[in-house]
Amino acid sequence: MYQYSEKDKQIVKNRTKEFLFQVKRRINGDLTEEEFKPLRLMNGLYLQLHAYMLRVAIPYGELSYIQLKKLAEISEKYDKGYGHFTTRQNIQFNWPKLEDVPKILEELADVEMHAIQTSGNCIRNISCDHLAGINNDEVEDPRPWCEIIRKWSTFHPEFSFLPRKFKIAVIACDTDRAAMKVHDIGLKLVKKKNEVGFEVFVGGGQGRSPFIAKKINDFVKKKDLLNYLEAILSIYNEMGRRDNIYKARIKILINELGEKKLKSLVENKFRKFADKKLSLKENEIQEIKNYFKLPISGPIKSEIPFKKNKQYTNWLNQNVIEHKLSGYSIIMVSLKPYNQPPGDATANQMKKLSKIAQEFSYGEIRVTHEQNLVLPHVKNSDLFNVWNQLKSINLATPNIGLITDAICCPGMDYCALATARSIPISQKISRYFKDQSIQEKIGKIKIKISGCINACGHHHVGNIGILGLDRNGEESYQISLGGSADENTNIGQIVGPSFPEKELMKAIKTIVKTFENNKKAKNEDFLTVFNRIGIDPFKKDLYETSNS
Amino acid sequence: MKQVILKKDKILQNEYVIINDLKDLSNFNSQKIIITVEQWLANKNILKKKKNIGIKLNSDESISMIKDDIDFFKMIQFNFITFKDGRPFSEAKKLRVEFKFKKEIRASGHILPDQYIFLLRCGFNSVEIETSKKKFWLEFLEMDSGLYYQP
Repeated sequence: MYQYSEKDKQIVKNRTKEFLFQVKRRINGDLTEEEFKPLRLMNGLYLQLHAYMLRVAIPYGELSYIQLKKLAEISEKYDKGYGHFTTRQNIQFNWPKLEDVPKILEELADVEMHAIQTSGNCIRNISCDHLAGINNDEVEDPRPWCEIIRKWSTFHPEFSFLPRKFKIAVIACDTDRAAMKVHDIGLKLVKKKNEVGFEVFVGGGQGRSPFIAKKINDFVKKKDLLNYLEAILSIYNEMGRRDNIYKARIKILINELGEKKLKSLVENKFRKFADKKLSLKENEIQEIKNYFKLPISGPIKSEIPFKKNKQYTNWLNQNVIEHKLSGYSIIMVSLKPYNQPPGDATANQMKKLSKIAQEFSYGEIRVTHEQNLVLPHVKNSDLFNVWNQLKSINLATPNIGLITDAICCPGMDYCALATARSIPISQKISRYFKDQSIQEKIGKIKIKISGCINACGHHHVGNIGILGLDRNGEESYQISLGGSADENTNIGQIVGPSFPEKELMKAIKTIVKTFENNKKAKNEDFLTVFNRIGIDPFKKDLYETSNS
Repeated sequence: MKQVILKKDKILQNEYVIINDLKDLSNFNSQKIIITVEQWLANKNILKKKKNIGIKLNSDESISMIKDDIDFFKMIQFNFITFKDGRPFSEAKKLRVEFKFKKEIRASGHILPDQYIFLLRCGFNSVEIETSKKKFWLEFLEMDSGLYYQP
């Protein structure tokens, strides 16, 4: 795992000091609220429906057990005893008091954490594959590249007041677990003629106009990465629209200019004006890579305990993945227990999980963009023991990838932007599909729920996407089908008119039934069936058949 | 509100005079004057005979509008319409890197002292500030540790 240098520590400390100065000036009236807002946002502090919300950065979703413990303590001391893990692999606290925020930032700094650039019109937390460094398919570990980009993008003098927020994801294999193609920039490490470099995708995003990122370069050399990013950002800063907040992302710029034009502008800038000082040297790259060496060395002989316990076996099948080193496993810790808000973890859960990670996973925890956690290196022989411990804190729900493993934004229960509630919808789904055998029979399916058009719950790329709307004061939900955020990223198609809240579950059941009726093989999943039969049979069953 | 020019930590008086009507140009023989892009584009021929001219661009005006004449200007000033509009950061950098402009680049308009270090690092060397806000600008300069992640 990455560890702060003296310079990192000092930079975070300085920022806390600067923030204190800003709070003081706001209180004295030297800063107007309009002026203070972008400054506090750049420190992760939002004003929500009921209170302030503090979003803490978890760079590329990687946490130490010490950091997780600190997050638990902060949630107890300054919040209501829980935190919410987000689709950008961060954590949010929903109830901090403004006057406590500087203290929280100080406590975070003690464990090498901060809330810098988790909001605002700047380059946000870099997201990454949660199985980085531990799967067999990758060209190389993408995490060091996330760290290199994190540094470059932190307090960038030129790119801190962009037209709009800017999100970057890095992956390193054909399987995309980071929703790379719905980021402003998606980077994929690839190997060509024995050299590793980057495919560069630009202009993906969700919100009210969803776009899939377009590839603008097949191979950017490693040493040139930052210069290439700088060229893209500079063109965006200059040319991105500032007249309309909804048209300000780079996805709109590339759409208006055309892919070719944007590419030629970027290439021209990159070729003519690359800064030699930004070119990465092999030793600098290696220095960062050294931090990410696996804490375990070779394969070991370690067997998975066999138990005649159905719950344990279900969990092994659903939540445990093979590690690239044999003898070890990767545990997916579901934050979607029965009837709970997706992505939430209580202080007690975080504390105990921190201990489990310390004892059984070399102190590491990761956060997935699907709002679950990962214990990345667990010895096979420890699996039964770890399962028991996870079960005791309600973190062993065997539903990873199943219908109750939904992505869900905070919705109108918390968020000032929301037009409808989303948590109660996920709870209804959780309750209705509670039975494990029903979930397994339905198989792999991704439901994603957003409480407004801003799409924090990724509804555009859900196999079943649910968007909460306000129809004359009534909550109403629009459903889209066939979306996907993986290597075959696709924006879902809207199935038809939205459903009032009380009819939504019936619609979801109908969709599942239509899918099941059209399965050709037992293990055919939802997306395969949808791609084969298209949207029409779903439309028909939803809108034409009265007894669906 | 009274304005002064801040160069690093030095407070100076603005030497540049705004000319509203170019008919008065002859009255400003040796004085430094500052003109708008509009004035420049409409009166290039007359203005080119003068020296000591600075030009002021609003944050929604691009230096591409004056790209053939960059070296003529003694000073280029970017006027921030709002501090949230970060275009001048890129424009200033472009002036330094792509146009190799060595003379003064100035910021004015709605900018915050919180942005001072970013301005300096992007190639600005002076800022027009309100006299009453001087202490905040200087405080940010003092708080700057010089530790950055970028070259």
